[in-house]
Amino acid sequence: MHAFVYERPGTLADAVALLSRHGPDARLLAGGTDLIIRLRDGSLRPRAVIDVKRVAELEPGIGQDGRTLTIGATAVMTDIAADPRIRDHFAALAEAASVIGSVQIRNRATLAGNICNASPAADTAPALLVYDATVVAAGPSGARRIPIDAFFVRSGHTTLDPREVVTAIELPLPTSRAASVHLRRTRRRGHDLASVTLSCLVDEHGVTRLAYGSVGPRPVLAVDESGVLADARASDAARSAVLEGMLAAASPSPRSMRASPEYRLAMLRVLGMRAVATALTRLAEG
Amino acid sequence: MNVNGMDEVNEEARGAQGAIPIRLAVNGRQRALAVLPHHTLLDVLRDDLGLTGAKECCLVGECGACTVLVDGRTVDACLVLAVEADGAEVLTVEGLAGHGRLSRLQEAFLEKGAAQCGFCIPGQLLSAQALLDANPHPTLPEVQEAMAGNLCRCAGYEQITEAILDVAAEGGR
Amino acid sequence: MRADGVGAAAPRGGGHDRVTGRQAYVADIHLPDELHAKLVTLDCARARIRSVDVGPALAVPGVRLAITAADLPQPVPRFGPQFEDRPVLAAGETKYHGEPVAAVAAETRDAAEAAARLVRVEYEELPAVFTIDGALDPAAPLVQDAALRPGDPLAGTNVLREHRVAWGDVDAAPADVVVEHVYTFPMVTQFAIEPHAFIAAPDEDGIVVWSTIQHPYWLQRVLARLLGLPLSRVRVVAPDPGGAFGGKQHAKYEPLVAFMALRAGRPVRLVLSLEETFQAVRRASARVRVRTGMHADGTFAFQDVAADYLIGAYADIADRVVSKGSYPACGPYRIPAARVVGRSILSHTPPSTAFRGFGNPQVNWAVESNIDEAARALGIDALELRLRNLARPGEAFIPFDTPADGRWEETVRAAARAIGWGDPVPPGRGRGLAIGIKSGPTTGLSYATVRLLADGSVVVHAGTSDMGQGARTIFAQIAAEELGAPLDWVTVVMGDTAVVPYDAQTSASRSSVLMGTAVLRACREIQGRLRAMAARIEGIDEASIVVERGTVRLPDRELPVLDVLRRGLGRLGGELIGNGEMRKEEEPGHPLGGSAAFWEFNCTAVEAEVDAETGDVTLVRHVTVSDVGRAINPLQVRAQDEGAAIMGLGHTLMEQYIFDDGGRIRNLGAIDYRIPTSMDLPLELHSEIVENADGPGPYGAKGMSEGALLCVAPAVAAAVRHASGAVIRDLPLSPERVWHALHSGERQP
Repeated sequence: MHAFVYERPGTLADAVALLSRHGPDARLLAGGTDLIIRLRDGSLRPRAVIDVKRVAELEPGIGQDGRTLTIGATAVMTDIAADPRIRDHFAALAEAASVIGSVQIRNRATLAGNICNASPAADTAPALLVYDATVVAAGPSGARRIPIDAFFVRSGHTTLDPREVVTAIELPLPTSRAASVHLRRTRRRGHDLASVTLSCLVDEHGVTRLAYGSVGPRPVLAVDESGVLADARASDAARSAVLEGMLAAASPSPRSMRASPEYRLAMLRVLGMRAVATALTRLAEG
Repeated sequence: MNVNGMDEVNEEARGAQGAIPIRLAVNGRQRALAVLPHHTLLDVLRDDLGLTGAKECCLVGECGACTVLVDGRTVDACLVLAVEADGAEVLTVEGLAGHGRLSRLQEAFLEKGAAQCGFCIPGQLLSAQALLDANPHPTLPEVQEAMAGNLCRCAGYEQITEAILDVAAEGGR
Repeated sequence: MRADGVGAAAPRGGGHDRVTGRQAYVADIHLPDELHAKLVTLDCARARIRSVDVGPALAVPGVRLAITAADLPQPVPRFGPQFEDRPVLAAGETKYHGEPVAAVAAETRDAAEAAARLVRVEYEELPAVFTIDGALDPAAPLVQDAALRPGDPLAGTNVLREHRVAWGDVDAAPADVVVEHVYTFPMVTQFAIEPHAFIAAPDEDGIVVWSTIQHPYWLQRVLARLLGLPLSRVRVVAPDPGGAFGGKQHAKYEPLVAFMALRAGRPVRLVLSLEETFQAVRRASARVRVRTGMHADGTFAFQDVAADYLIGAYADIADRVVSKGSYPACGPYRIPAARVVGRSILSHTPPSTAFRGFGNPQVNWAVESNIDEAARALGIDALELRLRNLARPGEAFIPFDTPADGRWEETVRAAARAIGWGDPVPPGRGRGLAIGIKSGPTTGLSYATVRLLADGSVVVHAGTSDMGQGARTIFAQIAAEELGAPLDWVTVVMGDTAVVPYDAQTSASRSSVLMGTAVLRACREIQGRLRAMAARIEGIDEASIVVERGTVRLPDRELPVLDVLRRGLGRLGGELIGNGEMRKEEEPGHPLGGSAAFWEFNCTAVEAEVDAETGDVTLVRHVTVSDVGRAINPLQVRAQDEGAAIMGLGHTLMEQYIFDDGGRIRNLGAIDYRIPTSMDLPLELHSEIVENADGPGPYGAKGMSEGALLCVAPAVAAAVRHASGAVIRDLPLSPERVWHALHSGERQP
């Protein structure tokens, strides 16, 4: 690993100031489960690494404020997967958090880090999309809220300014009865990077929100307001047609060695149907 | 014509930082150290403290050979900068046996023949210890899930799992 | 039976150190004043090296040495267990991605890594071959310089050797049914969790080398020749490897590190990364065409097998893998006419080498799968067809080799019973069964020294490497059994050519049989000395005394060994020393240079479920039954058997190197090269052993560490086909491949 300057700010203001000072030559360190791999393989060679884990404002909490659940930027996957509020209201997120890497990885990897890396295969991204999450960021000019759908650009790129720090991810508590699920495809049952990820939320009004990743440069959200997809009485053909439309934005890379585009697209459909079925079952079971 | 070694930045010119003082409690013993920012916890345990129980293999957090407990939780020490662990309590395999007596898990690993070549075993033991600390009576799938981050190429998974379930069944550790 | 003698599930020798972290593997050993080495490689497979400038590397603070091929004796020394074709550093041309062109050594690892990146190499990428078809193309560039192959009629091709085994007349054999198919086996890697590591230190007029090597004495020979030193000046220390699986049999970078240490006058250590290890060792991929001729009654008319193995840029032991692996391709069956042609084909890829199973899994996958095809064509049950043709005890199924040395039908029936063969199959599931066979060692030489110390404790010196198979435990159990010492009073010393007597190799599941016999003989020599001692003290005839299991039996009474020993040794104390030797000589004219010391025999049966929508395969039950002759330690036998079975699931379901167009491994490292985890196991894994004490080893033992891996793939593929109709002849059976088979119309009952 090449040498760098290590910074450990204690306050958000200091973190933001350090980011501004080092500019694009700095990288933020939260869980480090991606960053340290890239520092070691040389694909990232920052001058400064800014460790945000001891920033007071980013205490690794998961808190509820009225109708909003707030996940701090240093909260790790293990805690997110185990949090009863997240398990109750945001099952797809809990499930996504619980399949990322091994236990060792989940003990370190943060939700904020997962979305900031903007890997198309990030498991939490589709979950956050179906819940309409908001990314809260702090920069030199103060705090900013970015709807999650406006956050991802393409692999490795977000709409975050290089001088901004993600401080939290906010999830609005559901206003109607809803159920959700997260599914993925991997090459083995043990921990693996996903070749398809898909989250699905169905609410009591029959609205289905599907979000999927690893099949294009960024995760995609599609919403069925018609109620057809979630309607068990609708014909298979009708439901398939709706699903087709929702998955139309998928464009998997032919260069990936993890799965062919043909297989990814086929699996996306399988996961889509299975996810809707599971979500409906969960909705029925309350 | 291709050329290797052209695009490298001179490390010296980058104003690399010197060693940073940190404190660690390793296996119950307080340690004051000075570590380079780019050295991992694994580097420091193995090279500075001579605790070679944590092993180096994949260096990408996939194999679990370097698993140690930091503040009670398992981590891949290859993916933790030593300086990040400043102030933490670290448990390595060397700290599992108390006063020369093997822990129940260590004994069970021997009884079940779970250690073959042994290279992955320190990491396996620490993941197992953390599992039982958090969940004293895990089911078989819970054990398999908890241990999936520790590869064993001898594939002693059945024996490792049996050892853990044995200890869990005894209710003691 | 004693609780810790032969047949007991005794705890592992070295186990305590393994669970406490005290076991010192090579990378855990540090020498005072050592330097850290790092290899310099190019970002392509084959290249002509125009120039190497180490100047910028030497300018890095702490760097003490940077060497290139030009700094080595000229011509650049070459080595290899079969052909001396591998240069210590690439000489003028690299032949595979990852081949070092230079190396640096520095005071710290950081400095070595930084310096390695600064070595400036000008090179020109050259056309290269990475596939069997590419290598066989008449216009293909030659991997090996024809000048290195004088007098070799194949020198103008990329075929290193062609090995033919035949009996009967395949071309004239009439058959009622002939099935012919082509099967492929992927390039996979050993992936020992311990990456290879080497340390070399100048020592008086010689050198000491620590290595993760399986064959320390073989390495000693290689180093002595390269360095021009007598064997006595080359000491190889080989701490127990952290897994080897064949990948650590032969020298890799030890010669380089030795030259560096001698040049620097200081110890030099090189610990490979996992990525570098992937580029250093792998299993040969293969393409196997099988033509099986059957009579209508379900007996074989002939087998005709053509197996092409894609080996790497240097031969290593790969050509022996091809000859010995393809040799028993036709399996343990009565076959009137057989022809097996195995070819080792060079390519610009990392050198392939030994890997558990040693060339057998590739042909076994093809031949056993084709036997299933034949059974299907004949409408005969796959188990029944195998049983009808299985060699009976004593039957010479390969006319010029060791006859069937086990009651193999017992093994096959046990596996069939355990999987419920013939019982109704639950919906959505299928069953498959396959048989694996492998020739044990064909030659061998092992010496052991056993010392019975004055207090009755025992030290065994044996040159075997304990890389997880548990040889330490086995030898200790034999000594405990023969000399009556408690197991924890037996110490087994291994892994140091300055301390332990010669052993040819740790491979081919040989150690319990060959070194085990040497240990047994050494113990028996001590028993002879005890008899003589007892005769002397008691003043009776030696012939009337029997020593066994720690007891000296006189005509009128029994004495504990220790009693005789104390009185016999007298006030000066001392010890009794026994030497044992076990030789398996070469057999001139035999296609492999020697017949099998024993056959490893396994039957694997699985029940699988297939998710037709995704291609996911769930192994509901996996049964593995091995004929082990006699389990000296059933606990270790089970662990080896089950471990081999799971390793076999790796190449069956998920493992493979994926190359880019330039011959680089795309899934280099642990992120995209998948091996089974604790979550990838069969829902039920059941292992059984058959023990008829009919092996050539101590107490009737046979070698057994590879058997359970041999036929996993054909058994699983048969179950997948039975469950889903998916016809797959290429491994691994990844979900995508199964899905593809199910959705491409090649779905058959």
